[in-house]
Amino acid sequence: MHLPRFTYKKSDSLEETAQLLSRYDTGACLMAGGTELLPRMKYGLAMPEVLISMKRSPVSSPKIGSDGDLVLSPLMTLRAVEGSSLVRENAPLLSEAVGLVGSGEIRHMGTLGGNLCQETRCLYYNQSHSFQFKKPCFKRGGDICYSIPKGKECWAVFMGDIAPALYSLEAKVKIMSRDKTRIIPIEGLYRGDGKKPLILSPHEIIGEIFIPGSNGLRGSAFSKFSFRGGLEFAVLSVAAVLDMEDDGETCRSARITVGAVAAAPVRARCAEAGIEGKNISDRSLSEAVRQALDEIRPVPHHGQTSGFLKESLKVQIRHALSVAAGRVKKD
Amino acid sequence: MSELDYVGKRILRKDGPDKITGRAKYTMDMRLPGMLVGRILRSPCPHARILNIDTSRAEKLPGVKAVITANDTLGIKHAFVETPRYPPDQYALAANRVRYVGEEVAAVAAIDPYVAEEALHLIQVDYEEMPAVFDPIEAMRQDAPEIHPTHPKVKEPFKNIGGKTYSGWGDVETGFAQSDYMREDRFESHLRTHGYLETQVALASFEPAGKLNIWTSSQGPFIKREKLARTLGLPLSAVRVQMAYVGGAFGGKVDLYAHEFCAALLSMKAGLPVKIAATREEVFAAYRHGQPLIVEIKTGVKKDGTLLAQQIRVINNCGAYRGTGVVVIFLAWGFVMLPYRLPNLKYEGYAVYTNNPPRTAQRGHGAPQLRFALDSQLDMIAEELGMDPVEIRLKNARQPGEQLPNGDNVHNCGLVECIERAAEHTGFREKHLQNRSVGTTLDPLRRGIGIAVSSYHSGSLIYPNSSSAVVKMNDDGTLTLMTGAMDIGQGAETILSQIVAEEVQVPVDKIEVIAADTETTPVDIGSWISGNTYVTGNAAREAASVVRKKLLDLAAEELEASPEDLVLDNMRVYVAGSPGRALKYRDLFTASIRKRRGDPIIGEGHWRTMQDVPFHPSLATTKGRWSENYAFDAQVAEVEVNTETGMVRLVRAVTAHDCGFPINPLLVEGQIDGQISMALGHAFLEEVIMKDGRTLNPSWLDYHMPCIHNMAVSESIDVITETYDVGRSYRTKEVGEGLVSAILAAIANAIFNAIGVRLYSTPFTPEKILRGLGRIK
Amino acid sequence: MKKKQGRQLIELAVNGEAYELAEEPQVTLLEVLRNDLELTGTKESCGTGECGACTVLIDGEPVLSCLTLALDCRDLDILTIEGLAKGGDLTHVQEIFLERGAVQCGFCTPGVVLATTALLKATSRPTDYEIKKALEGHLCRCTGYNKIVEAIDKVLTDGYLVNE
Ligand SMILES: Cc1cc2nc3c(=O)[nH]c(=O)nc-3n(C[C@H](O)[C@H](O)[C@H](O)COP(=O)(O)OP(=O)(O)OC[C@H]3O[C@@H](n4cnc5c(N)ncnc54)[C@H](O)[C@@H]3O)c2cc1C
Ligand code: SF4
Ligand code: FES
Ligand code: FES
Repeated sequence: MHLPRFTYKKSDSLEETAQLLSRYDTGACLMAGGTELLPRMKYGLAMPEVLISMKRSPVSSPKIGSDGDLVLSPLMTLRAVEGSSLVRENAPLLSEAVGLVGSGEIRHMGTLGGNLCQETRCLYYNQSHSFQFKKPCFKRGGDICYSIPKGKECWAVFMGDIAPALYSLEAKVKIMSRDKTRIIPIEGLYRGDGKKPLILSPHEIIGEIFIPGSNGLRGSAFSKFSFRGGLEFAVLSVAAVLDMEDDGETCRSARITVGAVAAAPVRARCAEAGIEGKNISDRSLSEAVRQALDEIRPVPHHGQTSGFLKESLKVQIRHALSVAAGRVKKD
Repeated sequence: MSELDYVGKRILRKDGPDKITGRAKYTMDMRLPGMLVGRILRSPCPHARILNIDTSRAEKLPGVKAVITANDTLGIKHAFVETPRYPPDQYALAANRVRYVGEEVAAVAAIDPYVAEEALHLIQVDYEEMPAVFDPIEAMRQDAPEIHPTHPKVKEPFKNIGGKTYSGWGDVETGFAQSDYMREDRFESHLRTHGYLETQVALASFEPAGKLNIWTSSQGPFIKREKLARTLGLPLSAVRVQMAYVGGAFGGKVDLYAHEFCAALLSMKAGLPVKIAATREEVFAAYRHGQPLIVEIKTGVKKDGTLLAQQIRVINNCGAYRGTGVVVIFLAWGFVMLPYRLPNLKYEGYAVYTNNPPRTAQRGHGAPQLRFALDSQLDMIAEELGMDPVEIRLKNARQPGEQLPNGDNVHNCGLVECIERAAEHTGFREKHLQNRSVGTTLDPLRRGIGIAVSSYHSGSLIYPNSSSAVVKMNDDGTLTLMTGAMDIGQGAETILSQIVAEEVQVPVDKIEVIAADTETTPVDIGSWISGNTYVTGNAAREAASVVRKKLLDLAAEELEASPEDLVLDNMRVYVAGSPGRALKYRDLFTASIRKRRGDPIIGEGHWRTMQDVPFHPSLATTKGRWSENYAFDAQVAEVEVNTETGMVRLVRAVTAHDCGFPINPLLVEGQIDGQISMALGHAFLEEVIMKDGRTLNPSWLDYHMPCIHNMAVSESIDVITETYDVGRSYRTKEVGEGLVSAILAAIANAIFNAIGVRLYSTPFTPEKILRGLGRIK
Repeated sequence: MKKKQGRQLIELAVNGEAYELAEEPQVTLLEVLRNDLELTGTKESCGTGECGACTVLIDGEPVLSCLTLALDCRDLDILTIEGLAKGGDLTHVQEIFLERGAVQCGFCTPGVVLATTALLKATSRPTDYEIKKALEGHLCRCTGYNKIVEAIDKVLTDGYLVNE
């Protein structure tokens, strides 16, 4: 398979990239690791006129900011994140999630920023359309949906593994363009629209990622459900964080985020509220699972039925919460 | 059996060094000066009339060197099966009508892939869509759209029947009447791809003098040559098909494919070499996969588990053209009758046209689907009768020397021993009982064990029906083996060299192999129908024994001894007991030239399976002999079922197999591991998902072929039933494709043993497990 | 179709040889290796990151050459399967792969061998899990992975360090 033609620009910093993006207007695209963008280009799903490669750009190391946040460059490769002891100590949930992305080579090449900014996925979409599904669906600018034909919208699913973890860690991201930067909660990055999942305008990129430190007892777990156990996107994923009172038994605050069930990660807010203030026990976890199932309706995707996804959601949330509870320890 | 030096040894593969260093050239790696890039335009419609094709804009695009459509062809049809009953039914490029999404409509050759791609966009095809049908049961209905007329010999009121096989013996009604217990079940299998890593690719170069040279990633050059020559209207001798290394095939590279035909025709038209390589996506969405079968079985048994009668109907969703669809419904009968004695059988198999891509052979070619159904049902019967699975199998398993209903003989069939040893090795009976008595525990992980058997033919009569080989000695005493056989990863060249080495006592690394070139190597059946080791192997052995005999005769003269007293040893000959006075082969070579009027010591040999049988058996009625070598096996699967997630893991697979004798145990193990892995993918992971004739997951990412996380422990037990003796023909049996089958049923049976859920369709997905457990309504 | 973009000059080192090439922006490292340098040991089985057949080592790390732009390889040191055996001497990993039957059709082999080599260089005693994580991106249809894992275990029990 070959790539379509484009003009190549190299950029050595996020600032330079932001400059270039505003110069080239909508035809330009940033490439970080290229593991998501280049396959899409080969399939003809993206045709940037200008490709701004940051492949060789220097990357700043993870650090703890003045306010105690863990600060990560979006250009860090997943492998670098996985291997960072600072990350492991301060956000073990992120290390865990990163280690489950794609394959060894993908983790070595792919970056944090690229992972967060990946497109939503759908079987009908992620292929070239040279002879199959030639008529464009909503996501390709047409006016049909192959996946859920009765629908009036795109049901493509956001399948990235890192975003759910960052939701549960209450991370923030810096959004930058040539003229402006702002810092928003990670939830703000996603529109919840399968057709256009990100809020970013063509001139905007994401800069640093900030993960607040935890001060107290915490247990976390990332549970990724897939068939092959590797080289595969999640059928669904659950990122759970339990912050505990000093007694080690009462849950002070819980964050449960589910990935690959919709166009953006979804927080199970009722379930979270349900455990907060309670003792972590078989009963309270089961109750949380029940509530999560009430509030989250997985979009059927990649050949899986909603019945199966619901049941799997139950098992995976339960699993993530139990593991998280078992990992609670003093920091 | 005499002591053997090469046969039966774990000899390292000859092509290993080339492959491990990246030097090995595959067809994908071949380039010729001036080579053009070919691409194929495919139908976007599952069923449509082609009203018009306008290639004029494409032809004018700078860089385009040739464009072809059906109009540029001779309009000669081809097919995998070409018999009077089943005349060929497919054009290499669609004429007037397309019958599946992905069908080849036109092709271009251009100076680079970008131009070729753009040229495809510039070809304007006007289609008039026609109603399409994808499900075989729907396609059989009278009101279904007609893809091809039902075969004239088929009288049932069904539409779209591409072919039918019917067979049987005894009288099933009587059998059923005598039965103590009967049951009827229906099993379904699904669409899987072969998973060869090298995509389909061909490089054609037409010389002005009229010679077509073609390299293609295939399983044997002779069948390709025959079909290419005929469809292109060239004399057979004007087509030369050669080999390069092959990056996997598994049955998927046997028949003629449009890219091969198009590369050739484009090269003829452009006067330059043309290479067409399919993308992975094309392989998934437009090429041929295996065959999903519906298998309906009614079985009657006696109280003691003896099979009395079986009535079987197989429906094959064979796609838009016959492909191997009519072969599978023939083979299916064989997979029914082979392993267990069956006094009464009524068998019907239908190949049903649908608007899906045609299908082809796939490792096991129907056996996994059939054995899954049959051995699952046998376990259900055992369960009802209160018998254990081993007992019921031993009761019905074929014994050595049994005559099969088609007149073949199972000879030294080792099935009983396979079952016994597999069961013993795994502690089957105890585990089977124990797993069932676990009852309800809190542990979501449940263990299960299951067993099943299968049998596979080794080489039968399909064009070109036979193999021959030439072994020639070189001046320095080394050998060159010329064979039409093709190493597709299974190690054919190594195995053939071992045989030659044994016969002539020349080390394997002193044997050069020239292989699979229709021009310079003798005809060969090809690396399919599992005939390689037996048919080609015996041909090579014969050729080698001619060389052996010439050496002995000459040495006897030189050493003034009788040939019986001579010993061949590592390229030397001596009189037994006096190795000190040895003659080197290179000296004998010189002597032969001198004394035998220039004879350079060349041996020729040939072999055909069932030398006394004129034709292959009837695809319609199964009448006629089929094979003289049947391999047998019993496989045990141990699984772990996660009752919460529904995921099943194959923990351990034990294969006890009667392959005659292993010529190279290392290669046999490799074949077994690969088959276990493929079966595991079949059981749990792999499915080409199609909707209305279009493929939804045409990539490695969304089609889940096993990765390293999905490995199963694979153990094997060789049940040796034959011997190899120097100078005599041998009977060895296949190991390359029969072992994907029983394990599938064994897995299904193990799942039942673990959780009491019986699965009637593949794959055994977590969803089906959870539904079976009542977790999903 | 978009217009041809000009070629740009790049220098890179492959298997210790320095090359100067002029490439268009859309050309991948895989295409450079296979088409321009005729180093066809690096295979393409998908072109979209899903099989590992195109793996090469860049500065010792396994990289998918099908998803690497040639222009991003300026001044890099690239090792392909052809550069592994020095002067015809197989590396220990290569030898054991052959000895253990870890090669059948061989199409996945270059990628698997390079990824294994990189792993053993980075981690002298990888656990079973680490081995699987390092090779999870490499599809092999022929071997079922059994003999590949067996070979790597053998390399490890031999106590062989790739660095030596
Ligand atoms: C075989 C395979 C398996 C995969 N499996 C997984 C998986 O299991 N889980 C998973 O989450 N992903 C998976 N991926 C997707 C992808 O590889 C990863 O998400 C990876 O982290 C993407 O990072 P990248 O740097 O390569 O992205 P790129 O391809 O460089 O970029 C992806 C997108 O993000 C944009 N982008 C990149 N950086 C920024 C930035 N700083 N600001 C704004 N936009 C930006 C790009 O413009 C582009 O649109 C898989 C991919 C492949 C090919
Ligand atoms: S879900 Fe979205 S991407 Fe998928 S077919 Fe529908 S519109 Fe297209
Ligand atoms: S060819 Fe690069 S990963 Fe498959
Ligand atoms: S050896 Fe054939 S794919 Fe691995």
